[in-house]
Amino acid sequence: MGHVSRRLSSSLAVSTAHLKHFPPREATLRTKKATFDPETWAALQPPPPSALMAFANRIGLRAVLTTPTAVQRACTHKSFLDLHARYYPLSPPPPNNANLAVLGNALMGLFASEHLHATYPHLPTRVLKAAVSAHVGPLTCAGVAQEMGAVPLLRWHRQPATPTSPALLHSEALASIPRALAALVYQERCLASARKFVHSFFLNRRVDVRAMLKFRDPKRALMETVAKFQREPPKSRLLKETGRFSNSPIFVVGIYTGADKLGEGFGSSLKMAEYRAAEDALHRLYLTRTPPHVLKLPSSTFGEHADIYKLTDAAPYSPGELGESEALYASSGRSGVLAPRRRAPEVES
Amino acid sequence: MATQQLWRAQLRSYPANGHTAFLPQIRKVVLEFCQHYPSSSNARTFISNHLERVAREHPHVEFVIRQRNGHEPIARGFYANGRDKVIPLNKLEVTGIERKVQLLMDSSGAKIKPLKGARTVESTTESARGIWSGMHVDTPFII
Repeated sequence: MGHVSRRLSSSLAVSTAHLKHFPPREATLRTKKATFDPETWAALQPPPPSALMAFANRIGLRAVLTTPTAVQRACTHKSFLDLHARYYPLSPPPPNNANLAVLGNALMGLFASEHLHATYPHLPTRVLKAAVSAHVGPLTCAGVAQEMGAVPLLRWHRQPATPTSPALLHSEALASIPRALAALVYQERCLASARKFVHSFFLNRRVDVRAMLKFRDPKRALMETVAKFQREPPKSRLLKETGRFSNSPIFVVGIYTGADKLGEGFGSSLKMAEYRAAEDALHRLYLTRTPPHVLKLPSSTFGEHADIYKLTDAAPYSPGELGESEALYASSGRSGVLAPRRRAPEVES
Repeated sequence: MATQQLWRAQLRSYPANGHTAFLPQIRKVVLEFCQHYPSSSNARTFISNHLERVAREHPHVEFVIRQRNGHEPIARGFYANGRDKVIPLNKLEVTGIERKVQLLMDSSGAKIKPLKGARTVESTTESARGIWSGMHVDTPFII
């Protein structure tokens, strides 16, 4: 079934009990220029209030989203305004979530960055930025909106690509909903509640940070890192081996600084095992994790008051340890990034 | 060796429903019944006497009642993953109908896969005790 027939099938039809006029007058008009598109009409109708309040209860924000209008505002993307103005030019534009989404996006970025930086103090900057994108980026926000059950409540209008802006995708419109909800929690309650909302729905999801760490030359990176920490240069030693000269050898190599083992790796060749050992050593450094009970978040200094500028009687804040930044071993810190080739400008004769 | 670039807009996280906040996956339950046929009489009794109580106990679910004359009564549940589950109600008593509605509300909407057979190990995390390695014992086996 294509997406059009799926939407128009009887089990997913627009419910009509809450509409003032049904069937719509435009559908029964008999004029020469009678053009009624049922699909467009269905896209313009608001979802029933019971669906909106059920959504508010499902996400646990019944106390914040008290009316169906508030929920509707959070679920209306700004692209809907064009469609609405085209078919109902005399009625006022419906409230949309554009401002809320921008505020919520900023809040989510703040909470995710501080949490990840405090949790992984030694993580390289580019990996930290990638981890923040993975936790609160557009695809994750769209996924959270789908799991919340906001897909039938979203009101949007597909916009094609223009010379100045890319096309609007369904996932981008969906992603605006959780951002708007975070901003609403901040507005109606306080920063601490917004932080709790973002932590519950975004920062406890599964992200593989280890897969984001990629090395071009881990042995060299480890050499530079060890030199930065002023330790003895790394030396790799063969720990165990079996099956040398057979078709399936296994070598276990450890990388040491003096007498301390930094990492261990296995492989079917000595070089492979040494490579993995260097990778393991760097992973053990970069993925050092602060235990949750020791975690100190800077935004906790704002307290539980709705006004963030009001002084609180909270306990004095002691910041967590700042981690060491990664040792840069290629020119201008752009190690592992392939720069686009620059062509020499053509000389006009 | 060149490293693959990470495209930040394509990075995503995967759900862990229930680790902190739990989102029930049921969105809507639609009860369809016939006004005249006797096979719908238990469904009509349930809708008249018990449905309001069930709906108040579960405010996160949208309940819809549809009259569909000439057809057997069904309960249809709509889920967050876009799937729906249909349960016929024509051979059930009133308590049985309430149990089936509860079943719809408890379900996640995922497709039911057979438990036995190819599903040997299902886990998203590493094993807690690690996987045994013959190279990391005190006296490894030497051929």
